[in-house]
Amino acid sequence: MKNLKKYLFLAVLSLAFISCDDDDTPVANNVTLSFNNTFDNTTIVLGEASSTSATVNTSEAGQVHRFSELKYIISNIRLVNADGIEIPYNINDLDNGATVVDHSKPETLQYVLNEIPTAEYTQIKFGLGIKTELNTLDQVRFPNFYAAAEENDTEMMWEWGTGYRFTKIEGFYDTDHKELSIHTGSTLDEDPEDPTGEALVQGVDAYRDIVLDLPISAIVGSNAPTIIIKADFNHLLSGDSEIITLSSGSSMSDNATPNIHTAVQMTKFVNNLGGDGSTNTKGMFSITSVEN
Amino acid sequence: MKKIIRNITLILLLASCNTDDYNPVSYNNPEIKLNIPTGFPQLNDAVTNNKPTKYGIELGKKLFFDNKLSANNTISCSSCHIPSNAFTDKKPLAIGIEGRIGLRNTPPIQNLAFMKFYNWDGNKRQLENQPLVPIITHEEMDSSILEVIGKIETEKDYIDLFNKTYGDKEITPERIYKSIAQYEYTLISANSKYDKIKRNEGESFTENEAQGYQIFNQKCANCHSTELFTDQSFRNIGFPINPNTDEAGRARVTGNLDDYMSFRVPSLRNIEFTAPYGSFGQFATLKDVLDYFDNGVLNAENLDPIFKENNNRIPLTEEEKQALISFLKTLSDYEFINQ
Repeated sequence: MKNLKKYLFLAVLSLAFISCDDDDTPVANNVTLSFNNTFDNTTIVLGEASSTSATVNTSEAGQVHRFSELKYIISNIRLVNADGIEIPYNINDLDNGATVVDHSKPETLQYVLNEIPTAEYTQIKFGLGIKTELNTLDQVRFPNFYAAAEENDTEMMWEWGTGYRFTKIEGFYDTDHKELSIHTGSTLDEDPEDPTGEALVQGVDAYRDIVLDLPISAIVGSNAPTIIIKADFNHLLSGDSEIITLSSGSSMSDNATPNIHTAVQMTKFVNNLGGDGSTNTKGMFSITSVEN
Repeated sequence: MKKIIRNITLILLLASCNTDDYNPVSYNNPEIKLNIPTGFPQLNDAVTNNKPTKYGIELGKKLFFDNKLSANNTISCSSCHIPSNAFTDKKPLAIGIEGRIGLRNTPPIQNLAFMKFYNWDGNKRQLENQPLVPIITHEEMDSSILEVIGKIETEKDYIDLFNKTYGDKEITPERIYKSIAQYEYTLISANSKYDKIKRNEGESFTENEAQGYQIFNQKCANCHSTELFTDQSFRNIGFPINPNTDEAGRARVTGNLDDYMSFRVPSLRNIEFTAPYGSFGQFATLKDVLDYFDNGVLNAENLDPIFKENNNRIPLTEEEKQALISFLKTLSDYEFINQ
């Protein structure tokens, strides 16, 4: 027994020495982005129309609504350090720099950025959706991301536009549980015959760049911080840009179920979720905390 | 020294013998010049960047008719684009893999080398960007481009054709898209009775057809203009609305409410073979379409001004309808559908 204690002591001592030896801060470490999808401050519980556990939200227009499915794509991630220098994270590589956040799959709510250079970071930027130049369903270039989006239970591909779906929300609204199905994605098509890209551009760009200041610096080095990002889906109907009243039907003003594939009405949802692309660069996103 | 060189040569020879399982042969792959019919507009610039070649066309045609483009090897491009129906399928809505029903009526594919927009809503403006859409669409072929490549890359006929077309056997998505587009660029229809009359090749309109042509010029040619018989604009002409909530017409592309339920003005060439009509096949016959115009179309905020100014209708007597139909049948190109 005495011997064991001695060995333990020695072992602890040697460990202490090793860690003292290893005192140099690593040149890089991981940063975890943790997505918390909420209605206001309540983390969303998904559920079908009959579910008693699903989180029910009431919009500013007075419509109750709930989600049964909630997915969105995050890409083009950049961290800005205290000196204002932007560190891009595989921004042109969807396989290693983009992710589908799927509320039904807890593992997708944490996205780990590997090997972020040691520094203090004060701001994060990312895209809701995929910027146009990468939004081409290129299976050869990005097989893993393509596969993740293609899976039957994901359905994050917008086939006719040969691009990805940026947001996919299914659910129910009003007390009679009418179907709600809101999909966003870009339909942008620049004129193929114009090398300057200035001629006729048709379609809408549903990609939104999000810029968020961190409440305290994320100190990357010895620590691998976690940045907790709140995505408040109350903004979907009650956003900074638009107060939306859902209606079902197939007239051009109806917006709840139709338009699964259409750009009509979609832009309003896009602006609420991701900001208007100019003055509002937050949309539904905010930073809850940084855990160093 | 000589010995060394000889040995090196020998080694190189052996090495190349070992690694090569296929000997690419250099082929002459001449460009096939597209014949631009009299009065047609210029070819699209995209054609200039993807000039049809002898083997490119052959490869594209083989792909066009190949069921392997679909997940379960049951559907090819030609399942819906049937040549003898002027590349349509006689169905109101296109039917893909496992009987899945699509959103819209199969459009005829002809004279695509001259068209500025493709599909009912013009979402594609370059033909090379189109083939991927049916390949991946759930209601069409429900496959993926790598799945397709995986199926064809071991086939000798394909290896041969890719080599003949592109100089090596590598199969890339771009090469597939380009070949299919090359084949489609050759699908030019301009040998109807109408064309032969225009070219003074000895044919002439019957009295009925001539009357129909006159009515056509008065009441239809505004939109169905040029030798393509479409002005390639998008218009809401108050047709019955597709009940599928995915449908918004061109607005689903542009996001512009003024484009709501607007569709590309279709060409009228070979219209005799492309029933049923309308974006979701809402009209069984040409007579039905003309009756609808005569009775009055649905009103809409963005209804085409031509209809708005004429009480939302194109008035036509029964005699005029028959004459019009006679004229429209002179746009049938039997050489094209029997090719």
